[in-house]
Amino acid sequence: MKAHFKITGALLAEVRKDLARPHPFAFERVGWISVGASQSGDCIYLIARSYQPVADDDYLPDDSVGAMMGPEAIRKALQSSRKERVGMFHVHTHGGEGLPGFSGLDLREMAKFVPNFLQLSPRIPHGALVLSNDSIFGHYWLSEKSKFQIISEFFEIGMPLKKWKGGYE
Amino acid sequence: MSRYDRQSFLGKDSDDVLHGATIGAVGLGGGGSHIVQQTAHLGIGGHLHIDPDIIADTNTNRLVGGTLKDLDPALPKVNIAERMVRGLVDNPRIKSINGSWHTALNDLKTCDVIIGAVDSYIEREQLERFARRHLIPYIDIGMDVHDIGANGFLIGGQIILSMPGKPCLRCCGLITNERLTQEAGKYGAAGSRPQVVWSNGVLASTAVGIIVQLLTAWFINPPNFVFLDYDGNLGTVTPNARMKLLANKICPHHPITEVGDSLFDLRKFVAR
Repeated sequence: MKAHFKITGALLAEVRKDLARPHPFAFERVGWISVGASQSGDCIYLIARSYQPVADDDYLPDDSVGAMMGPEAIRKALQSSRKERVGMFHVHTHGGEGLPGFSGLDLREMAKFVPNFLQLSPRIPHGALVLSNDSIFGHYWLSEKSKFQIISEFFEIGMPLKKWKGGYE
Repeated sequence: MSRYDRQSFLGKDSDDVLHGATIGAVGLGGGGSHIVQQTAHLGIGGHLHIDPDIIADTNTNRLVGGTLKDLDPALPKVNIAERMVRGLVDNPRIKSINGSWHTALNDLKTCDVIIGAVDSYIEREQLERFARRHLIPYIDIGMDVHDIGANGFLIGGQIILSMPGKPCLRCCGLITNERLTQEAGKYGAAGSRPQVVWSNGVLASTAVGIIVQLLTAWFINPPNFVFLDYDGNLGTVTPNARMKLLANKICPHHPITEVGDSLFDLRKFVAR
């Protein structure tokens, strides 16, 4: 089983631009990419639809992390997932170049909130993405109780088309 | 020296990029057969060929790769295309569907680019809609020969690159409700339409150029929406006026919020 993540170059540029905006007190910004899904054989296609920034007021002051979402940020994303029947992928950036990776803190926080999405919207995968300035890495979950999986390949749909391996096949 | 040395300007890793790409060719007649031949020469590694027909003697004026020996017994067009690719590509990944593209949806999802060389507007619209839902660039080529009475004949055609989020075939005015209705009314009585090898070749070559632009960054900032008109009488390919007018428009007909398969159910996928 594998997953391919597809996003248009225009949407990815919109995400990068938003995440680069300074926040009044948080060190970095976070947001959500909603996805539709499809399948072919043993591959799930996670197809990006839109981007939702986390509102300024939905961050919590916390100097121990780059950005801490409050419960309202997660509630709004859960609501979008339920209403629009989409998968929700938390997204933030580490900057730099090349294939990025999640920090231990990222992994700990993701494990807290992503299963809630699977509980509410079990028809579609949910997960998290971390960006660099020229790449993406990500995890997705197949069920509320399962361990995360690594997204195996990314496709940026633009001129030219770009694709890269995200992890293990 | 690589046998692709003469196209090395496409990029230092272009051999790998091209071999790693998969092109879906829907319709393997006059236009599609040129596409297959050229993508094979380029070294494209993945080929999905879809066509329900077998070769007929009236195809031999333009079906590239087809020979008179293929007429008896008549070979499926997908077999002719596959033979052409196997003769030119090392370790090709070929899937041949001797049927409707509607039976090959899962295979089409794996394509980097889909190219439609089909006769019908209904097929064009459905194929483009499928491509949009899966964020796959779609290239449409088509031509017609019109009898203009005492003035002879007029050959015209188009090449359109339909990129997700960018103007579509409806935005271009190629697909209209009137055309779809008219075509639906003529169902089963379309008859054969004039087609010629050189015009198909011009359209297909231009489309293959767009495929190469999509796969390799061999020049900076190529247009990401293409709408070209072919004038077969003058022998010209020129940008349609809408290519400039619509360049920065977002397509209203295929909203990005429609991507994916609305019937997908992760629980069923996991339980397979």
